[in-house]
Amino acid sequence: MLKATLRSIAGHRARLAMTGLAVVLGVALMSGTLVLTDTVGRTFNELFANAYAGTDAVVRSTDVVESQFGPEIRSPVAASVLGVVDGAPGVAIAEPSVTGFAQLVAPDGEAVGNPQGGAPSFGFNWSQFEQLNPFRLVDGAAPSTANDVVIDKGSATDADIAVGDTVTVLTASAPRQFTVSGIAAFGEVDSPGGATVSMFTLPVARELFGTPDTYSEIAVVATDGTSQQQLVDDLTAVIPAGTEAITGADRTAEDQSAIAEALGFFNTFLLAFAVVALVVGAFIIYNTFSIVLAQRTRELALLRAIGASRRQVLTSVLAEATVVGVLASMVGMVLGIATSIGLRALLGVAGFDIPSTSIVVSSTTVAIAIGTGTAITLVAAVFPALRASRIPPIAALRNVAAESTRTPVLRVVIGIVVLGAGVANIANGLSRGGDNALAAVAVGALLVFLGVAVLGPAFARPVSRAISWPLPRLFGITGTLARENASRNPRRTATTAAALMIGVALVGFIAIFASSATASIDEIIDESFSGDLIIDSGQFFVGGVSPDLAAGVAEVPGVAASTGVRFTDASIDGAASTVFAVDTAVLAEITDPKVVDGTVADLAIDEMAVAAEVAAANGIVVGDTVTAQFPTGERTLTVVGTYDNRALLGDRLVDLTTIEQGATEQFDLQVWVKVEPGADVAAVQEQLVAVAAPWPTAKVQDLTEFKEAQASQFNQLLTLVYALLGLAVIIALVGIANTLALSVFERTRELGLMRAVGMSRSQLRSVVRWESVIIAVFGTLLGLVIGIGFGWAMVQALSSQGLGVLRIPVGTLVGAVVVAALAGVVAALLPARRAARLDVLAAVSSE
Amino acid sequence: MTTTDPAPDAGAATQNTPTLAARAENALKVYGSGDTEVRALDGVTCGFETGRFTAIMGPSGSGKSTLMHCVAGLDTLTGGAVFIGDTDITTLRERDLTQLRRDRIGFVFQAFNLVPTLTAAENITLPMDLAGRKPDKEWMDNVVSTVGLGNRLNHRPSELSGGQQQRVAVARALAARPDIIFADEPTGNLDSRAGAEILDFMRQAVTDLGQTIVMVTHDPMAAAYANRALFLADGRIVDEMDDPTAERVLDRLKQFGE
Repeated sequence: MLKATLRSIAGHRARLAMTGLAVVLGVALMSGTLVLTDTVGRTFNELFANAYAGTDAVVRSTDVVESQFGPEIRSPVAASVLGVVDGAPGVAIAEPSVTGFAQLVAPDGEAVGNPQGGAPSFGFNWSQFEQLNPFRLVDGAAPSTANDVVIDKGSATDADIAVGDTVTVLTASAPRQFTVSGIAAFGEVDSPGGATVSMFTLPVARELFGTPDTYSEIAVVATDGTSQQQLVDDLTAVIPAGTEAITGADRTAEDQSAIAEALGFFNTFLLAFAVVALVVGAFIIYNTFSIVLAQRTRELALLRAIGASRRQVLTSVLAEATVVGVLASMVGMVLGIATSIGLRALLGVAGFDIPSTSIVVSSTTVAIAIGTGTAITLVAAVFPALRASRIPPIAALRNVAAESTRTPVLRVVIGIVVLGAGVANIANGLSRGGDNALAAVAVGALLVFLGVAVLGPAFARPVSRAISWPLPRLFGITGTLARENASRNPRRTATTAAALMIGVALVGFIAIFASSATASIDEIIDESFSGDLIIDSGQFFVGGVSPDLAAGVAEVPGVAASTGVRFTDASIDGAASTVFAVDTAVLAEITDPKVVDGTVADLAIDEMAVAAEVAAANGIVVGDTVTAQFPTGERTLTVVGTYDNRALLGDRLVDLTTIEQGATEQFDLQVWVKVEPGADVAAVQEQLVAVAAPWPTAKVQDLTEFKEAQASQFNQLLTLVYALLGLAVIIALVGIANTLALSVFERTRELGLMRAVGMSRSQLRSVVRWESVIIAVFGTLLGLVIGIGFGWAMVQALSSQGLGVLRIPVGTLVGAVVVAALAGVVAALLPARRAARLDVLAAVSSE
Repeated sequence: MTTTDPAPDAGAATQNTPTLAARAENALKVYGSGDTEVRALDGVTCGFETGRFTAIMGPSGSGKSTLMHCVAGLDTLTGGAVFIGDTDITTLRERDLTQLRRDRIGFVFQAFNLVPTLTAAENITLPMDLAGRKPDKEWMDNVVSTVGLGNRLNHRPSELSGGQQQRVAVARALAARPDIIFADEPTGNLDSRAGAEILDFMRQAVTDLGQTIVMVTHDPMAAAYANRALFLADGRIVDEMDDPTAERVLDRLKQFGE
């Protein structure tokens, strides 16, 4: 029996390759993701290991503020701690460090690095001690005067900066010019993880980062013969409360695990697309096995008739699936290495710089990729295999029964149940929120896809007939034949279309989400923003522009009111939160906070306003006090008002005076500007551009430009998502090609007959092509219906958080259908060619 | 005989023989080479007269099917020439050959004659639909009424009996008014009553409508419906017989040692 299986595989290499391709592509994306994250992970691990190679202990504050989005924020230590540490036993060197956001600007006035992308721009003091300094000079000298800066070699190369050049450094303080005294490499690489780094003397760093009385942390080198642990124990005995000492090894491990966590999100994000690709692949494997086994009914029945047991038939089919799965997964694994390079390039295009090093292929990656690929193939083949094992021996003597075009009631019931469960899961996930919400939504989406796929055959016939309605009228008999072919095996058509449906649904959903988000931003700006100009800092993850910019803006004639918009992470009553801050004295002139209770104007220091919904969810009313753990320490805030304008003012709002006490560095994310009545907005804008000139990342935008910029930011992210979903669509197209090829093979006789009675090759190609287009458009329509459903659900769930408008991008969706039709034409190329090349005589005379 | 389309003039005939709908000149068909060489057609020269019903007889392996396939443009010769009317089809390109089959030749096969997704009526008009021609209404009514399918015309082939399917196939061959119809064992899969019906029907098409039909068969009873019988053996024409009867054909076949 095993022999028969292997023969069958060897005899159908082309079919094997087509089936395997679906698995290959999914596994390639999966292993590519794993390889990429392993590679990046190792890069950063080495970075941190290098950075702390000579550090035996670190003394730092125990106060940490958890962030909702980024890494935790640790409070600085008092400058006086340095003296204590210096005097401790076993300490050879104690050097303080001061770190902060620093945007480097090249002599040509361009910002260096990629502020919108992931790679950070930061600055710190150049270490005086070789043991503590991960950088080594490759050119020039260490900073020695207040005008000196050393920059990383990567940035120097990218921005074409040489020793002696004058650069500007933007921090929370005023823009300041420096002379590049030296260029340094980070160990073996040009720049740590693609970051832009500026290094100053310690006094300059303290000035720039506004920490006259504190240090970020203190690095310690032990005397010879003192172990790291011994050193930490000795330090712990002497350092004051609120500070802690940890070993250099622990510090390295902490940073490595923080990166591992950050990479984990990234990994999950990419793996989600790999899973989508594999699910699509599973549909195709299921379909291929179903069709092939149906075509082999007589052969299998013959095996049964001569004594093969059901179990043997089942085993032989599953063995075939295993061979396909293992082979395809291995090919996918190898392709994955190339994919990881492609993914890195793709992420680079979308604005996420990832440092490049040698590629890491771990045995875990190999095991996961091959295991998953094989398992998916097997699971997909189980149902067709079970069906094949139920073929009675008598079928060998019968003509192969045509597939019924009726859908069994049981199938409809199962489909509705699965679909219902999916919808329930999504509804539950969206309404509940929390950690498991995303998982619930994902499982729900998968169930919806499965449910629709199960129900598919029930409406494949009417829908595909409706889609193809114009074909007979436009193309005569070839149109009629394509139409009939597409609806003669509803199950086959439905499953093939379902594979395409998944990718299209997700694309449609993302398109709807993006256009709704853009429309919502537009609406928010139009309805509740009465300012005229917005200066965007051009920084996103960290930093912003110095408050000096907002101060300069306020001086410009024609500006009636303006405020910087600032935020900081803070722990409010123990929960990680983001606190926004504006100048509440002028807030009312720029936007209506939509006060619900109390007051939101003229907030005094340590007064806070809370979005009404957030207040309700946390049981907070006006007059309550909350404990806020800021990066600088703990403060008690009094809630004086609640508001509805959550989209613009966030969950919690304080006055700038409060955040100046709470945040370690003061950065404005945006500056909102209201122009005097009657003043020329364009003229004011021109003056503001001049004021903002020292901050090249800052963009002075009128409201139209701001809206466009927001939309284009979305679109950049979308490009990445579309590219990743594109793979699922490509796999689905492979599936269409596969189904058509099998159908062509199965219809050899009738195709030969049609050729004999005068159908030309091009007519035959056109029949296959139109069938392909019908299937593709059917799958796309299914996908769009589901995608619109998902988009609607998402908008419902997020309507209170600023996503208030459901906008369906009709043009894009119609475009998707057109693209699907064209893709159908492409998918049909090979099967159509094969059909056209069919040997007419062999087809009509074969017995 | 009516030709609705001007025939493609590639390779005009050397001599004008208007009474022949099709002919083969020194047709040679060789499979393999060297020791394994098989001469399926070993220099066959024959003609099929317009308005006549010709049966090609012979034991299996005699080359009768190969001859029909080559004359009908389904297969290519190793040497010699085949003419449909005045057109030398051995020089035609694939595209022109397809067009020639569509417009000037009708086919009836032993089985799998109909496209399963099309109704009987659609199957009948298939060659004309492929050509983008409108069927001649009067002629169609005539053909359809002769077929006698009545209200089953809108049924799919799977809903018709074997005999009904073959009648639809003959109707399809007739509908486009081809120069010549080739039938390959048209009654091979039918019981004798249904078979007789089909043969009657074909004979009628020749006598009443002036159609030219060439039929390959090994059944002497079927051959008896023809005006003339050609006998093939080992790739050569060994005999021919006008107005064959089942008995005479059977006697002749016996001489082949069957």
